[in-house]
Amino acid sequence: MRIEHMSSRRFVVKPLDEHAECSRFGGLDARAKLVGVLVFVVASALLTRQDIVFVSLAMSLVLVGASALPIRHVAKLYLGALPFILLASLSFFLFSGVEKGVTMWARASACVLALIVLASSTQTFELFSGLRRLRVPAMLTTLLMLSHKYIVVLSDELSRMTLARRARAFSGGRNLLDRYALKVISFTAGMVLVRSSERADRVYEGLKAKGFEKDLTGWRTSVLGVSDIAFVMAFVAASAVLLVLQTEVIA
Amino acid sequence: MHIPDGLMDPLVAAIGWIEFLLVLGAVMIVSGRRIRERNLPRVALLSAGIFVAQILNFPVGGGTTGHLIGAALFAILAGPALAVIGMSVVIIIQALMFGDGGVTALGLNALNMAVIAPLMGWGVYSLVDPVLVNRTRLGRSLSIALAAWASVFVAAASCAAELLVSYAVSAGNYGIAAPISVPAMLGYHVVIGIGEAAITVGLVAYLASVAPDLLTTAKTGMVAAGTKSILKSDTVKAAVAIVLIFVLVLPLYILYASAGRDGLEQVVAEADLEEGSPVLNAPFSYGKNYFETLLGGILGFLAVTLSALGLLRLLKWRGAR
Repeated sequence: MRIEHMSSRRFVVKPLDEHAECSRFGGLDARAKLVGVLVFVVASALLTRQDIVFVSLAMSLVLVGASALPIRHVAKLYLGALPFILLASLSFFLFSGVEKGVTMWARASACVLALIVLASSTQTFELFSGLRRLRVPAMLTTLLMLSHKYIVVLSDELSRMTLARRARAFSGGRNLLDRYALKVISFTAGMVLVRSSERADRVYEGLKAKGFEKDLTGWRTSVLGVSDIAFVMAFVAASAVLLVLQTEVIA
Repeated sequence: MHIPDGLMDPLVAAIGWIEFLLVLGAVMIVSGRRIRERNLPRVALLSAGIFVAQILNFPVGGGTTGHLIGAALFAILAGPALAVIGMSVVIIIQALMFGDGGVTALGLNALNMAVIAPLMGWGVYSLVDPVLVNRTRLGRSLSIALAAWASVFVAAASCAAELLVSYAVSAGNYGIAAPISVPAMLGYHVVIGIGEAAITVGLVAYLASVAPDLLTTAKTGMVAAGTKSILKSDTVKAAVAIVLIFVLVLPLYILYASAGRDGLEQVVAEADLEEGSPVLNAPFSYGKNYFETLLGGILGFLAVTLSALGLLRLLKWRGAR
């Protein structure tokens, strides 16, 4: 019981790559995944015709199925994005009619699902490595990589302190007039920063010892294989079909 | 406030991306020379800190909670340039690694939370702080609270504006209609801003007493050497930051501006009057399409800003005499 209580880390940030290895797309080059999925998301976001939007949603669902990611994991992430999508759909139901509301829901869902597959089936380091190799500036990719490392360190600190707060019967406060609760929350955030500062320095020294420079020279150097090119081509073709169907109707 | 993909009109999303990339590129060029390798982990730590602080929920009342955005905090701790870069990192990580906010909408999300929010927070803090109670502890707390609240509110207002412009220009295919987007975004964030203000004040006070070295970053490495000579005064820099927010919103406003008649033109038309030939033919027009109007808007904005600056200089010169 005690062990269970101690290990209930409510605030630990779980990066999305925890299922990357079991995904069918886990072994593909990150650049191929980035380009393929982003092209598809951009094309899907441009669609306005309901039947074509449903085709793109079906493609996204096929992508989720093909990725072999745990459905529960995908559903959990999708539910996180749902409130905003529902707010937009509600606005459409009220002001533009049911059809446009459904189209909005389907379009946003298609994009969100594709993005979840990209994020979940790619190792974090691979993802940043892919961005760097796609010519994203070194300062940005290095900051992304360091921030990601520190998020793990900080969320670890936060989970410990949250446990300590709960052990002292802090329940989160009642409302915005609860000065004590707001003070505790702001001090917790401040304490996380201070306590992690030293650990962050140590992480940085460790990286330096392993040859870290301002721009990581150890980025992946894999070459694009046949499956990578096939992946990109499939997405580009699917996106092209969607856009052709959409523009033909507009014309 | 993280907008997902498929919600925004493609033109609005494209404007968001272009503006975000322009601002980020400019900031990276300006501050790149000053960010030494040693400073990178400090910025990354703050980005990670803001990311984790966004997980901490605070009570709003009635069983609901809100969470920190942290842009004003970042700007107060690290200065505006690094706040823009650091907050952009937070937004990119949230979009690519946690599926929070879309990729096509990343430009708009970053514009709201990584450009407008920190610039507003820092601008308000720099303008108000010297005025309030001669930099006493209460004055400092008030200026931080105002900065935090303004940053959240203006970012939410900008998000609401993007949603309603998307709705208007796409003939109802994208965005959220004004009667829902404006009250939902502004009403909620007026309250969330109060929580943000309280937590930012508490956090800065805590850091000032426990780890003042974390607060010194803003003074050491944030402003590029080149800009220091041009913009010596903090007040001028803060004013420039706030003016920049208006510049960023200008293309959206022009996109939204109606092509219909204004009140006077409507009255003249209804009274069957004809407009006489003008005494002076103006060199510019408002333009016939979006890009001509945008160019006209930018020229007008520059003309008004330069005239205002000239007038202020004249007043100062006369005052000095």
